[in-house]
Amino acid sequence: EDLSVVGSWSGLPLHKQYEAPFWTETLPEASGGEINVALTTHDQMNLGVGDVYRLLGDGVYDVGMTVADYAVADAPELEGLDVPLLALTADEAKAMVDAARPMVTDIYHDRFNSHVLAIAPYPPQVVFCNAEISGLADLEGKKVRASGRMTAKFLEALGAEGVNVSFSEVPGALQKGVVDCAVTGAGSGYSAGWWEVSTHLLPIPLGGWDSVVTAVNLDKWNALSDEMKTLIQDQITENFETPAWETAQTALEDDIACLTGNGECAAGDARSMTLVEASDADFERAREVLVTEVLPEWKERAGDEWIARWNDSVGQTVGVTIE
Amino acid sequence: MPETALATLRRINRVIALLIGVLLFACVAFVLADIVLRQLGSSLGGTDEISGYVMAVATSWGMAYTLTELGHIRIDILRSRCAPLGRVLFDLFSLTVLAITISLIAIQSWPVVARSLANGSTANTNLETPLALVQMPWFLGWAWFAIASWITLFAAAMLVRQGKFSETEAAIGAFGEAEEHA
Amino acid sequence: MIAYLSLGLLGLLTLSIPVGIVLFLLGFGVDQFFSPFPLIKGLGNLVWSSSNHATLIAIPFFVLLGEILVRSGIATRTYAALDRWVSWLPGGLVHANIATATMFSATSGSSVATAATVATVAMPQAERLGYDPKLFSGAIAAGGTLGIMIPPSINLIVYGFLTQTSIPRLFLAGLVPGIGLALAFVVITVILCMLRPGLGGERRTFPFPEMLRALLQLIPIILLFTVIIGTIYKGWATPTEAAAVGVAGAVVIAALFGGVSLQMFHDSILGTIKITSMIMLVVIGASFLNFTLASAGIGRELQAFLEGLGLTPFSTILVIVLIYIVLGFFIETLSLMVVTIPIIVPLVVEMGYDPIWFGILMIVLIEMALITPPVGLNLYVVQGARQSGTLTEVMLGTIPYIIAMLAMAAALIAVPGLALWLPEALQ
Ligand code: NA
Ligand code: NA
Repeated sequence: EDLSVVGSWSGLPLHKQYEAPFWTETLPEASGGEINVALTTHDQMNLGVGDVYRLLGDGVYDVGMTVADYAVADAPELEGLDVPLLALTADEAKAMVDAARPMVTDIYHDRFNSHVLAIAPYPPQVVFCNAEISGLADLEGKKVRASGRMTAKFLEALGAEGVNVSFSEVPGALQKGVVDCAVTGAGSGYSAGWWEVSTHLLPIPLGGWDSVVTAVNLDKWNALSDEMKTLIQDQITENFETPAWETAQTALEDDIACLTGNGECAAGDARSMTLVEASDADFERAREVLVTEVLPEWKERAGDEWIARWNDSVGQTVGVTIE
Repeated sequence: MPETALATLRRINRVIALLIGVLLFACVAFVLADIVLRQLGSSLGGTDEISGYVMAVATSWGMAYTLTELGHIRIDILRSRCAPLGRVLFDLFSLTVLAITISLIAIQSWPVVARSLANGSTANTNLETPLALVQMPWFLGWAWFAIASWITLFAAAMLVRQGKFSETEAAIGAFGEAEEHA
Repeated sequence: MIAYLSLGLLGLLTLSIPVGIVLFLLGFGVDQFFSPFPLIKGLGNLVWSSSNHATLIAIPFFVLLGEILVRSGIATRTYAALDRWVSWLPGGLVHANIATATMFSATSGSSVATAATVATVAMPQAERLGYDPKLFSGAIAAGGTLGIMIPPSINLIVYGFLTQTSIPRLFLAGLVPGIGLALAFVVITVILCMLRPGLGGERRTFPFPEMLRALLQLIPIILLFTVIIGTIYKGWATPTEAAAVGVAGAVVIAALFGGVSLQMFHDSILGTIKITSMIMLVVIGASFLNFTLASAGIGRELQAFLEGLGLTPFSTILVIVLIYIVLGFFIETLSLMVVTIPIIVPLVVEMGYDPIWFGILMIVLIEMALITPPVGLNLYVVQGARQSGTLTEVMLGTIPYIIAMLAMAAALIAVPGLALWLPEALQ
């Protein structure tokens, strides 16, 4: 069986540590040589991030994976997979994803003609500021760069000014005050040198966990034998998804250590950003903003049916009900 | 008759090009306004996003103008060594390939719009731009490029049949006439 | 697959099919013969996402900026002023081409836009003063490539984006090599024209007061440069936004120092659309070809090839340079960067090299690709601005400057500080 696989960002650890070994070594070996994989990544193909699942559904390749949030343009109901600040630890994020999984499976089935195989996390999207902040409340009035609709709306609801800057221009924009703060993965921020141009780190998942969904074209999936389906599903859960989640929490702690110098940094030199703790009051306020403004807005986009499903699944897990 | 068609096509494309220019200047103004507002502690938001849409639309609609101005680069190592009839045959062949390719692009562009329409897709940004709203003009630009290249091809073929080789070369040759310097 | 691509490219190009269309055709071919998947279904999405790109809008903006400077007469006066200062060198006006290109490079982030601007003002002079058309136009094509080395630079923005390195640091790193390369162009022109005086045309000296007065003519362009770079380094605008600032600045400066008229806007717009669409057809075609190549596994092949060689880091860098020179003949530069950066840069960084330094080395090689046939955008832009002559003349004229670029690449490998000193000094 030949599979053409399009992976997530080639430069990030998820691809290098888990995706690439799984698809090129683990799975072909487990199949006893029956499965041959041709692996590339969407950035190497120069695909628009929003196109990955569109092309997957069209059968341009067999398996695709990218951040689910990139696909919400075509499926607003998918925003519910990754709501900011509802999951603070990897375990909570995993519980949220597991609760959302049946919903996500149906969304991919209907919108993208594909079948969900796995949902793995990128490190959570945290806040880098080149301005003194002592908590979430201080973001009010600041110019903040964020990607993704729900995060941007959330920041707006907090009273921050959303500014559009492409990822590569963030360091310059932070340094020069085009933006005061920017949201990205702690690891990406470390390797992209954001610590050079920012002083304060607020390590709470303001941009959510950026779940990466691995999906297979539905026609391809249906044409596989039952044994093959079971093999692929078992292998990917055991050797890709589970290990990726297991390291997620420690990866975040390592990245924070690297950025702030509080602890060992295996990735390189530790930096000395100021670690800002979010207070309980911060979280309460965040939750209130989410429940009263951001999530009801999402309801308008996604429709009542999906919201009811979300309330019964993810909402129960995190203790939030959208009215 | 083919001359009239070609002249009309040139005029239309020139107007289109000027309109795109106005769009580009509007985009400049928009970006500037955002920069100024940011200094005052506010922001229009979405300049990045809107610039992208402007670029996509400007690109697709500008293509046909560049075609009529003979601006799409071709390498004429062999062609330039040929007699007028040979050159015209090169030009007709090249234009046929172009017309087919662009038609394919236009046809394949439609599903992109159709999908956005079907899903009611909106950009993953604060602006929530309905994607079909910006993809439709983009698609029409490519469609126009395809139509314009077929019109040019048929007109040029008629000129060739009438034996008007130099007129044909002026319409579909390798390089545009020297730019007028004011 | 490499053989198929080279043969196909050469065959199709000699049939004089437009270069952008050739790239699409090659993509269709790769789809048909080397990939089991219906890649053609991705065509529409590829065309959309490769043009719906905020960074790319810098291209029409920089071209428009250049057009405004040309049509308002400012470019011509800048050129004449620089001529007063450099034409005493063996090679005469050729140095004015290089100097003007260097100067405009500081206001333009695009090599094609820089070459187009200089070519439009310089070409009429060559014919008037009886210069060897080869060296004269070669100097413009090569000088124009400085547009992406001297900040601002679209290509450095793209590099920074793809490798997640700091763009302002990349800009600083490009400054010394950019100016160094301009000086190398001057030196090689002087050497050539001393050996073969026929190449350069008349050397001219001007009385010193006239030279001083000429300096006044440089004010508009220096002002524009200050505005563009100033807004970036003051933090008012991102590098992409600075292109829009540049257009507005050019309009204001044209109004103050030159002539603004409806006719000027009319001509500037038409010129801009023509050049932009020409570039974009190539960029989009290249992007589709890249997509098919990536699906057919060219990335894996390249990576396996490099790793299979088992070379020392230093030899690997040399092989990479060689690969860029060869690919640079055939592949349009923006897509060359997009295709190769995700594969090559991680390897280079893993071997312990600095990504900023490698970015600058890559830009030198990309500059070379812009003037090597058969796919060299700057060659076409310069040829497009000429009234007569063949493309071959422009190609021959760039050879000395390609040698200068090779020397600069060697210098960067030998002395990484050329690129890294300035950003480190200003930390
Ligand atoms: Na430049
Ligand atoms: Na080349």
